[in-house]
Amino acid sequence: MPSPPPVRFRLNGQPTEVAVEPARVLLDLLRDDLRLTGTKRGCDLGTCGCCTVLVDGRPSLSCLTLARLVDGREVTTIEGVSPPQGLSPLQRAFVEVGATQCGFCTPGFVVTATAFLRDHPHPSREEIVRAISGNLCRCTGYLKIIEAIERAAAGGA
Amino acid sequence: MHLDPFELHRPTSVDEVVGLARDLAGRFDYLAGGTDLLPNYKMHLNLRPHLIALEGVRELRGRSLERIGAMERLADVEAESALLAAYPPLGDAVREIATPLVRASGTVGGNLLVETRCFFFNQSQFWRQSLGFCLKADGDRCHVVPQKQKCYATFSGDLAPALMAVDAEVEVAGADGRRRLPLEALYDPEGDGIRRLRLRPGELLTAVHLPAATRGDPGAYLKLRVRPSYDFPELGVAASGALDGGRVRRLTIAVGGAEMRPVRHDSLTAALVGERLSDDRIRALADAVERATRPVHNTFLLPDYRRRMVSVFVRRAVERLREGTAG
Repeated sequence: MPSPPPVRFRLNGQPTEVAVEPARVLLDLLRDDLRLTGTKRGCDLGTCGCCTVLVDGRPSLSCLTLARLVDGREVTTIEGVSPPQGLSPLQRAFVEVGATQCGFCTPGFVVTATAFLRDHPHPSREEIVRAISGNLCRCTGYLKIIEAIERAAAGGA
Repeated sequence: MHLDPFELHRPTSVDEVVGLARDLAGRFDYLAGGTDLLPNYKMHLNLRPHLIALEGVRELRGRSLERIGAMERLADVEAESALLAAYPPLGDAVREIATPLVRASGTVGGNLLVETRCFFFNQSQFWRQSLGFCLKADGDRCHVVPQKQKCYATFSGDLAPALMAVDAEVEVAGADGRRRLPLEALYDPEGDGIRRLRLRPGELLTAVHLPAATRGDPGAYLKLRVRPSYDFPELGVAASGALDGGRVRRLTIAVGGAEMRPVRHDSLTAALVGERLSDDRIRALADAVERATRPVHNTFLLPDYRRRMVSVFVRRAVERLREGTAG
């Protein structure tokens, strides 16, 4: 069988070219083919937000994004959120506040909140709660997550 | 969960879409934001061998006070404060659809045409198989109303009642050209949870048109759901209207999330034109809309509760409209 045509896109700043079937979602391409396993597979149905990545800077549920449709776009995963050295201010705030429990949902929260803080640098608490309402934490640790985002917004991280 | 193989088409113009739809003759689905279609495909619900992705069709974009392209993302509409202020039910509805992450991909057209839902349908293939499937997918009977050969799946979009209430129209394109129709005419009163639209084969929803006549009119959309941050509506009630000197000049009520299609109750609101919106009149209208709404037991909340919430929501929405006018 002929291999499918490649998709070309930038992945965490790097030009990437990879053959992918039409019925493959971005999440599977990232985790299984490209071994970027920071992006988590939770519900696989768009409910939990664990698989959130940025496509052209916009939060996208990678479990519901056909990989072929990122052709020509810029994809940023949790691996690309950090600066070359160390952690982003938001990631540092997550560490300092202790905004993780089991940690499985953390990449999704960090990616979602990264885009949110870029667009809303001085959010109210209510705006933060709304912004992360598509990300589920099954350890129910939302308070510290909200606190971490507040701290990053305040520049306290 | 994996997706079964399909062929993916990426047209860039409406004409190209219409041509593809003609060639593929019913063996395809349109792919808009994918936030409802792809979960359904992962559950093996009514798979088609071809997907026509609409994201590259420029003509389906654009947001203004007059027109919203069908492929506009819900999150982008949500950011249009002037548009939402001009049509309050739209503002209420768009902010309440699913989650911010779903709204980042989900589209206006996708929400208007969202697949109907039922707890015997929105299940895994294994779950459905163990029950012998159902009329809506792979089977030959309805588990909700077994004595009928009809599908009772619930229309679960939020935008439809909100936009119907403000007299929105939709534009569609197909092999016979383009046409515009009132939004409520999109949903077939003779249909059921399967055959629910009055679109001709292959026809594509291209845009929503918002009328100047209702721009700025007060109104509201109220939504009932279990988890306020995520769920589809168990009921959605929109009201829009205008008063002149305290008397009703225009009043519309539309109900979604309750039956197989969203319904506008013009015959019940007509009697109020020229009248003052007294508490008694509002209550009588609310009771009448409740009596006209017949949910069945196919979503999470019990139908009797959903039905009784119809009058509560109609009353609240019309009261808010009355207050909005006073303010």
